[in-house]
This record gives sequence, C-alpha cells and structure tokens, in this order.
Amino acid sequence: MTAVLTLEDVHRIYPGSPPVKALVGVDLTVEAGQMVAVVGPSGSGKSTLLNIMGTLDRPTEGRLLIEGTDTSKLSDRRLSGLRSKRLGFVFQSFHLIETLTALDNVATGLLYRGTSGRQRRAMAQAALEKVGLGDRLHTRPTKLSGGQRQRVAIARAIVAEPSLILADEPTGNLDTATGDGIVALLEQLNADGATIVVITHDPDLAARLPRQIEVRDGAIRTRAGEHRALENEHRTVEGGADR
Amino acid sequence: MSDRSKLRGRDVVSTSVVGLRSRRGRTLLTALGIAIGIASMVAVVGISSSSKAALLAQLDTLGTNLLQVEAASGGLSIEPLPIDAEPMIRRIDTVEAASAVIDTEIEVRRNAHDDTVVGIGTLGATPEFFETLKATVVVGRPLDDGLQSLPVAVLGDVAAIRLGISDLAGGPTISLGGQDFVVVGILDELPLNPDLSRKVIIGDEAAVALFGIAPNPTSIYVRITPEEMTDTRPLLAPTANPARPAKVEVSRPSDLLEARAEVDQNLQNLLLALGGVALLVGGVGIANVMVISVLERRGEIGLRRALGATRGHIRSQFVLEAALLSGLGGVLGILLGSAITIIYARRQSWVVDLPPEALLSGIGAAVVIGMLAGFYPAAKAARLDPALAVSGGTG
Ligand SMILES: Nc1ncnc2c1ncn2[C@@H]1O[C@H](COP(=O)(O)OP(=O)(O)O)[C@@H](O)[C@H]1O
Ligand SMILES: [Mg+2]
Repeated sequence: MTAVLTLEDVHRIYPGSPPVKALVGVDLTVEAGQMVAVVGPSGSGKSTLLNIMGTLDRPTEGRLLIEGTDTSKLSDRRLSGLRSKRLGFVFQSFHLIETLTALDNVATGLLYRGTSGRQRRAMAQAALEKVGLGDRLHTRPTKLSGGQRQRVAIARAIVAEPSLILADEPTGNLDTATGDGIVALLEQLNADGATIVVITHDPDLAARLPRQIEVRDGAIRTRAGEHRALENEHRTVEGGADR
Repeated sequence: MSDRSKLRGRDVVSTSVVGLRSRRGRTLLTALGIAIGIASMVAVVGISSSSKAALLAQLDTLGTNLLQVEAASGGLSIEPLPIDAEPMIRRIDTVEAASAVIDTEIEVRRNAHDDTVVGIGTLGATPEFFETLKATVVVGRPLDDGLQSLPVAVLGDVAAIRLGISDLAGGPTISLGGQDFVVVGILDELPLNPDLSRKVIIGDEAAVALFGIAPNPTSIYVRITPEEMTDTRPLLAPTANPARPAKVEVSRPSDLLEARAEVDQNLQNLLLALGGVALLVGGVGIANVMVISVLERRGEIGLRRALGATRGHIRSQFVLEAALLSGLGGVLGILLGSAITIIYARRQSWVVDLPPEALLSGIGAAVVIGMLAGFYPAAKAARLDPALAVSGGTG
C-alpha cells in the first residue's frame, strides 16, 4: 500500500542575504491512518515543512509524493486540484470568513470541487455535527468562542474527506483546556480513520500523540522524548545542516 | 492523477458577492464614484434628448414650411422689396399663404403724454398675417379686412407686458406716433418668430394712410405646401424682385430653432466628456480600493488557495468583485440620472425621453470599467504565494 505522504530529501532555502535554510534534507513517510505530531521550537522549520506537505510551497530540492504522485512535476493548477480533493488544512488563526455562517464556512471546503450548493450544505452540516457544533450551524464566527471557531475550521478541513489533514499549531491561539479539547477532537477523527499531521511547539501536547517527529534547525530528529539530550547535539545538527 | 479544481459559475458570482457584502460601507462609497459619472452622463443624454424631443414636437406643430423673404442686408444701401412682391409670390400655386409686413419707425407710448416705450416697434401687416404665421390671440381678435385701415392694434405678447395691458377690459388704447389706437387683441407667443413678440401690429393700410409710410414690404412671410418646399424656395427671390433677385434674402425661421438643438449637441459632448472623466476617476477609485482589499484579504486568499482555488479562480473572483462593484455604481447612476432627467423635464414641461440604449450602455460602461479596474488587483491576488498568504506574512 502506498504511503499517504512521502518526503524525499526535501530542502527549502528562502532566498535572501543571507539565504535561510529552513529545511535541510527532510525524509519522512506518513502512512494512512497515522496521527503524527511535528514538534520543535519556534523557527525550527515546522510551518515550512507543513506548507510543503500541503503543496502550498515547493521544495527547493527533493520530492513530495502524495499517495504515490510526484508533486514536483505538477502545475500550480494541478496542485490546486490535488489540494481540493486530498488535503485538508487547519490553521492557528482559523481563517474563517466572518460574514459567512459556520455552515457556509464549512461548505467552502467543498467549493473548489464543484460540488453543488445543496450537497455542500448537507455535507457541511454533517461535518459540523461531527465536531460537536450541530447546534451552531447558522452562527457567524464572531459569535463563537476560539475553541468553537477552531472546530468550525476542523469541520471545513474534514468535510471533503481528504486523505491527509494538516494542522499548523491548531491550539496556538487557545487556552490549554480548550486546546486539549481540540486535540481530543483530532484524536477522535484519527480513531475514525483520518490521517493527521499536527504541528505544535508544545512538547506536552506532542507527547500525547502516537508518533512524534522533532524538527530542529530544519532537520528531523526522530524521538521527541529525548529532546533534552538532543539539545546537546544541536551544534552537530547545525554542522550537518550546512553541509 | 486527475484531480482538478472546479468552481461552478454561480459560485464564482456568489463568492464575489460575499466579498462585497462583507464590506458594505466601502462598497457603497466606492460605487458612488461610478454612480456619479454614470448619473451625469445619463442626465446629459436624457435631458438633451428630452429637450430635442420637445423641440421636434414643437417644430412639428409649428411646421417647417414657413419662409421669410426680406430685402438683402449688406451692401451700402438696402434695396426695398417691390410693392407688388407679395401678390406676385401669392401667385405661385405651392404657396399656401403669404403676408407682407412693413417694419416702421412709429414710436409706441402708453398714452400721448407718456415716454416712448423703448424696444417695442410698430409693424404694418396685411390681414393674412395671422393665418400665415399661425399667430393666435390669447385675448381679443386678430386684424381682418374690415379693420385694416382703422386705428386699431394687436399687441405681441412682450409688447403687451411692456405696455401694461393684460386684458381688453375698458377698451385700452395706446398712442402710436401721437395717434390713439384701440387695442383689439393680444398675440400668443410665436416660437418661430420671437422678434414679433415685441411688435405692435396694425393694418398695413393704416400704416400707409395714417403715417404716410412707404408701402414697400420689409418682409414677406410665406407658407408653402410642405412637400414642395425644396422646389418652391428658389422661386421666391426672382418672383419677389424679378429685376434684382440677388437683392432678396430668403430664410427659414424654423432653422434657428433647429440650430438651438445643434448648439446643445456641443454642450452635450462637453458634459459627456466630463461624465467620462468622472467615470475614469471612479474606475481608478475602484482599482485603489481593490488593491487595498487584496492586501487586507491575504489570509482569505491563502485559505481559498489551500481549499483548492486555482490562480484563475482567485483572479476571476476579484475581477468579478470589481465589475459587480462598478455595475452597482452603474445601476445607482442610472437611477439617479433618470431621476434628474425626469425632474428637469417635468419642470420644463417636456415629455421625458430616456433612450434605453443610453441606460444599457451606462451599465455596460460601468461593468467594463470595473473589470478593467479589477484586472491589476486581481492579478496581484492571484500571484500571491499561498504559503505566505496563509501565514498572514507580508513579505
Ligand atoms: N517566507 C519566508 N521567507 C524567508 N524566511 C522565512 C520565510 N518563512 C519562514 N522563514 C524562516 O525560515 C525559518 C523556519 O520558519 P518556520 O517554518 O516558520 O518555523 P516554525 O513554524 O517552526 O516557527 C525561520 O528562520 C523563518 O524566519
Ligand atoms: Mg510556525
């Protein structure tokens, strides 16, 4: 069975003076049904990694395969199509459209698949019920709490039943208790079969998840539980990064 | 892999509408620029077209078949028309009516002891004057054969006002050249011959007999069978003065009225150009607002890209937003321009004539301008790097 996502020696260098080596040779495979925490301090390259996983950004070097398809050869248009069908995103700042109700926000998740309006709303309602907001269908984001907004965003990410859900610091704007609720929801979705990659800078949160990947200075250290020990190797990693 | 983004046509529209609805105040203010441009253009076209319609309707009732034959001005001396010029002209079969008038220097006073009323003249006219000019009286009666040689007068409408006479109660009299004349009628306005409004009209026989005026006509008004105008007009000068036809001038008073419409045309073009400038400014306003909107909505643009929107989808969303914004301005402008036209035309008691093609092209122009204004901001939006846009980055 092909992996949902494969990164092969991915580099991402932001041009500038000096150029920023945000990712330096990342290899990673995510299998269907997995839930992976990507953890690391601020500036370590997590968001860059997630953007590349989500085809919002392209590697400077290396390849990204989504369900076996090499994305490096796809046009911007094809990548958009791939995102519309196979990927779901959850962002730290929710990115909800304020003038739309929760239902319409979630339905936007199907907009660029050409689904009919009626079907979009039906699927959006089901997704909102799944995240526990079945009673908030017609509420606007401004009338929702932070946790509820993030649930709406999660509903929007799952409404198209993507192969992979990518969440960048989904609890970053929430207090701990609310954040825990969001993580629990993601765990629930994973238990129902969704493949999820969650980015977090919170080691405690990462520790709850079955698989953890630690990013340091643009490269992956495997075992998050040993991050204190790894910090001593930091210089070595940096040396490796500049190779 | 056959993954393709797909956005339904109606969803393109509703997406753009959402974008506009979420910024109502700004949407309205921006649309206002276009509205003012379109409104002024619609009003200019509407008012001048209503005025033209009114003028044509007026010409229709007045007829364009009235000609005026005069001794040609210019040269050192004016050679007067022969005395029998009018009977000769009347002999042409396509002439329906003709009347000779003699412009005199007879002074007009309210009464013998009063000062001369400046700017009001006395005209001796043959009895056919009223028929030929379709001149009607608002009060009293016109002159006729029986009154031709008597000291009676009909006043032009302005002359009546200047002489302070508005009705015939008590048999008002005026003093012409020191002789008392009884006023028997007051003329209605004569749109084709506004100069006659300032005249006191007496019989030509009275003018000659009572004041010793030379009987040569100054002007002859000629009404011609409408279909025969072109053929008859060249006959008038040689008929009036067979010896020296070049000393005769033939004009058509309705041409003056029509020329007024032509003057309006120039003014109209100027006003239209001003409206066009307003539109252009409105278009630039839209472009500005859209550029700001794109900057503010980076997050939304990034989100839509993450949800699968192609660059083309983003571009069409913003072009359409601009076009709708401008189209809204167009609709407002048409309503406003039509209202201005209707109010103005009513005041002038014209029929309202709003050419539908002007209204349609108003909307069309607005939409096109909006699209043009939207291209650049939309291209900017489409070119945004999705990764930067979702992060809310500014770089
Ligand atoms: N668009 C960009 N242009 C230049 N440098 C960038 C850009 N985005 C991120 N970086 C840099 O790349 C590094 C990794 O950033 P990021 O992936 O955002 O890390 P994280 O999400 O772990 O905080 C940082 O040094 C950051 O400053
Ligand atoms: Mg980050």
